[in-house]
Amino acid sequence: MFPGVDGFHWSPAHITFLTVFGIVLMAIGTTMLIVLWRTLRDVRSGRGARIRWTEDFEDLPVNERLCRHALSGTAPGRVCPRALDCRECAEHPVYAAREISASAGIPCGLDYPAQRYYHRGHTWVEPLEDGCFAIGMDDLAQRIAGPIDQVRLPAPGETLHANGAAFTVSSRGRRLRLRAPMDGRVVATGGADQPWLVKVKPLEASPRLTHLLHGAEVSAWVRTELERLQVLVSPDATGPVLADGGMLHRDLPGAMPSAPWDEIAGAMLLEP
Amino acid sequence: MADMAWNAIVAVERKLKPRDAVRCPLPQFAAWLAPWMLLFAVGLYAGFLCLRDGLYHTNMDNRFVFGLWIFLDLAIIAFGGGAFFSGFLLYILRRRELGAIIRSAVLTGFLCYAGALLVLMLDVGQPLRAWFTFWHPNTHSMLTEVTFCISCYLLVLAIEYLPTILKNRQLRRIPQALVFGWELHRMMPVLAIVGAFLSFFHQGSLGGLYGVLRGRPFAFREGFAIWPATFFLFILSAIAVGPSFLIVVTRVVEFITRRKHAGGDVYRVLGRISGILLIVYVLAKSVDTIVWLNSTSPQSGFRAWEYYAWEPFGTWILFLEIAGLGLLPAIFLLYFSRTRPERLFVPALAACAGVALNRYVQTIQTQALSTLPFDQFVTYSPSWQEVAAFLGVIAFAVIVYSASYRYLNLFARSH
Repeated sequence: MFPGVDGFHWSPAHITFLTVFGIVLMAIGTTMLIVLWRTLRDVRSGRGARIRWTEDFEDLPVNERLCRHALSGTAPGRVCPRALDCRECAEHPVYAAREISASAGIPCGLDYPAQRYYHRGHTWVEPLEDGCFAIGMDDLAQRIAGPIDQVRLPAPGETLHANGAAFTVSSRGRRLRLRAPMDGRVVATGGADQPWLVKVKPLEASPRLTHLLHGAEVSAWVRTELERLQVLVSPDATGPVLADGGMLHRDLPGAMPSAPWDEIAGAMLLEP
Repeated sequence: MADMAWNAIVAVERKLKPRDAVRCPLPQFAAWLAPWMLLFAVGLYAGFLCLRDGLYHTNMDNRFVFGLWIFLDLAIIAFGGGAFFSGFLLYILRRRELGAIIRSAVLTGFLCYAGALLVLMLDVGQPLRAWFTFWHPNTHSMLTEVTFCISCYLLVLAIEYLPTILKNRQLRRIPQALVFGWELHRMMPVLAIVGAFLSFFHQGSLGGLYGVLRGRPFAFREGFAIWPATFFLFILSAIAVGPSFLIVVTRVVEFITRRKHAGGDVYRVLGRISGILLIVYVLAKSVDTIVWLNSTSPQSGFRAWEYYAWEPFGTWILFLEIAGLGLLPAIFLLYFSRTRPERLFVPALAACAGVALNRYVQTIQTQALSTLPFDQFVTYSPSWQEVAAFLGVIAFAVIVYSASYRYLNLFARSH
């Protein structure tokens, strides 16, 4: 059959057969090489973070992909078609104009300062006077994590991409990955004396934060998140019931150790 | 201590499952797998015996060279046609509805072809010389093309299945994994074309294998250029029955898991395509049979009806194959795909049975019939080793599919 084998003689059949299969094998091999090359290029260029988020977002359940205007009741049941990036959404300004800006206050004693912008994965951004932005974990995420043993922060000089990984925290052996709320280059990392964990210099001269929650809509979002949390903590119960106005425990996993905290953290922090 | 170990296993296992997917408890899953594992173990033992001692463990001989294993091979390769055909429909013809089941379709195809290769490995024997089939192939045999095509296509199916595996909850944490899967997904149209090309030729060559048997007038067919009519009939039957097999698999999975995985639109598309192609196949098969009855067989010195004098292979088998398990399922597939897609299971199953019967007739009936004056009608029944290996391959497919279903998202979450 092949050159080098005893008794082999080239014939038109051999040439046709080997050419066709050579082309097939080359097509498969070339495809794989192109895929590998593109993967390396994406990872190096930072496009990988966007791709990962697109893939993650597609695999989230519908109730985690709801549009921000669905949470506030302006567009009931609307699923976000843009992977939570309202900056490119043509319908966002239309729905935003219809929003009624009546803030109901943050429930359960949670601390959500009004000057911050919130990412649906429970991180926040705060503009600083020097033109940089502070990034941190919001109050609900801290309570879901419990006492934090270790924080892994990006090194100064690294680039964060919106919806990509920002930092990871470890608590009782569980590692939680939190998503970056905006694009930026890390200029400093925080410590125990700072409320923020990472300080970034935005990649654009005038960064747009329209994809983040701010102002009156934060309250509606936090309420929805608390309802979701209630269902996740006790999935076998009859469903969420009206709370009696108590404060949310600071260490939820410690208070309810039997709850499925891996799944809960995944659901709240938008990890499929 | 045992409780702690069990809890640790449950905790680790839980982390492998899709976060929001509803799956049965681990003990229930283990109980489901246990009989299949046992069957697989017995199959492995039977396969080991055949590879160690040779094919004398089987009831095949120099006259009956193809048995249960080749029948299984031909049937599951035809059923596996659903993978390439649905990939072709989704990625090339843009039938978006099929996106809901494409991962399951690819896995089904992969398991069909992996099973076929496992069985072929047993049938060929001499595992240390397996590479001979590639380096010293018989260039005059249709099986050469089949061997090359199946091996290449299994590779293509494994590549197509890779993005689904990389979406596992733990694997997706590797930063490059999802990016690689995404880039691979972008190249799926290329792989779909390669898969369709490979499938087209090996499905055809498997049919051609019988059609060129001039010494077996029951199977011999005239055709076009170097390809006998069976070459085209096998291709047509595989692409016709592939979507039906996907209906069967999806419905069985829905029944076992008690969850709906595909909407009526998916079943409608599969049922309609399968029904139309099955009608075309039945027509082509009917024409082929008429030509064979009136021309091909008499020219070989046999009146075709003589073949059916040998019981149990009476004419009923011909009518059952063409009408009972061909035309009728096609009509019901078309009817239910328009009216009641939830009722497509039975006609789809019947269509699969029809194509399986065709492969049985081609493999077993062809060899059983005598072709020379001093020849005898030969009966064949498989040995326990053949049956065990056959069931072992089925168990292998069930185990891998079950594990994939449990730890991966085989169906799009829109349903």
